[in-house]
Amino acid sequence: MNCGKYQSQFNDYLDGDLSLREREKLQHHLKECLPCYRKWSSLQKTQEILHQLPTLDPPEHLSAVVMARLKNRRLRQPLWFSANLPRWLPMGVGAALLLLISVVLWQVMPSQYPWQSLFPSSRKNVATTTRPAEPSQETFTIRKGAPGSSVPVMVLRVKDFSRADQQLQSMLRSFTRPPLPERESSRSPHAKSARLFQLQVPGQRLPHLLRELHKIGHLDQSQVESQKLANPGQQKQVSISIRIVVVSNGSDVEIRQLREGR
Amino acid sequence: MGTKSLAQHSSSVKRHEDQVLVDRCRRGDRESFAQLMRLHEKKIYNFTYRMLGSEGEAEDLTQDIFIAAFRGIRSFRGEAKFSTWLYRIALNQARNRIKYLSRRNFFARQTRRADYGTNTVSESPEGLADSAPTPEQWTMAKDLAAQVQECLNQIPPQARQILLLRDIQGFSYDELSEMLSLRPGTVKSRLHRARAAMRDCLSEKLE
Repeated sequence: MNCGKYQSQFNDYLDGDLSLREREKLQHHLKECLPCYRKWSSLQKTQEILHQLPTLDPPEHLSAVVMARLKNRRLRQPLWFSANLPRWLPMGVGAALLLLISVVLWQVMPSQYPWQSLFPSSRKNVATTTRPAEPSQETFTIRKGAPGSSVPVMVLRVKDFSRADQQLQSMLRSFTRPPLPERESSRSPHAKSARLFQLQVPGQRLPHLLRELHKIGHLDQSQVESQKLANPGQQKQVSISIRIVVVSNGSDVEIRQLREGR
Repeated sequence: MGTKSLAQHSSSVKRHEDQVLVDRCRRGDRESFAQLMRLHEKKIYNFTYRMLGSEGEAEDLTQDIFIAAFRGIRSFRGEAKFSTWLYRIALNQARNRIKYLSRRNFFARQTRRADYGTNTVSESPEGLADSAPTPEQWTMAKDLAAQVQECLNQIPPQARQILLLRDIQGFSYDELSEMLSLRPGTVKSRLHRARAAMRDCLSEKLE
């Protein structure tokens, strides 16, 4: 005897949705099982009561009140939207207008990207990203030089020293315009560390470098500003004397020492 | 069989009549809306009364439902029956009103007062005294409709609405599914729980 199964059929039985066989089995079960019969019987009586609930008449003035309240109201949507127009039409018209505006802007704007003239700050970003990718992006910091020395130190961060040569070469190339002559760049960077570098810093590298030099006090704010003013649009190059140090795992090792260690 | 096809015919005539009135109303004919209202106000009023258990609140809610229907009539595209669309509005409005009234303890006060206006049954329904588990108590109940309303107020609004729409208003499962945006299986299981809750409440009250 599975009372749960039969009780779950009560609703279908009420709605007349049971097959003849299911109905007969349920009726047979109800004859034998008193708890199920009681549940079924009370459910059936509840249904009868609900069906026999009296129907109320709404107040006579109801429609008059509603119509009075509607007197000054308008239908929610504009007339052109209502008629028998297909539902997609307003969206289609909107999309077509948007496309038209885009095409007109594209044709009218003189720059490569129409939005550049609308948003000047975005032009700079786009211009930067359209240049060839620079190797070793901002993997350096600038520190003060040794006491008594006015030459700042550029600290180059590398993951491992075995690649230090390669990374230094690529960074030097990215920091010089025009690129280092072949004979220079082919030499080991270790040798260069013994002397100062005269870096020709390309324009897009300049802000970061100026900021770093300002942080260590090598340049004061007025010098930074004058450098920026001297390089409007950051298109020009500046020369700077700097000592280079390679860093890995938090310990600074001068390139010279690195070479001696090998 | 003949009765069924007659009922179907009557339903399709009603639907056509609604559609004609809706089309006129969308063109700005307010008198057509008044006619639509007269056709549906009784059912909507009874639904709201059973949902809220108060004639005054039911009247206010019915007004709001028809005003919302009038304002949104242009969004009715005739894909469903007008009554189905109207009940969707009624359900939304009733849900909001129940939330509003619950925050003000309306239903608790209503149960204490047990005041359901003129909606009482003076005579017990036929056939209640035969094989029911507690037929004597049921037949002895002086105010059965009020007891029923108390139970309706006690069961969750979600269960109440599905019970009213199916067992009192007589909508089909497909129509309920469309109105409530639920799958037919979900409608069935919710109705199952609602009927059980109502049965338990009534049995307890009338024992």
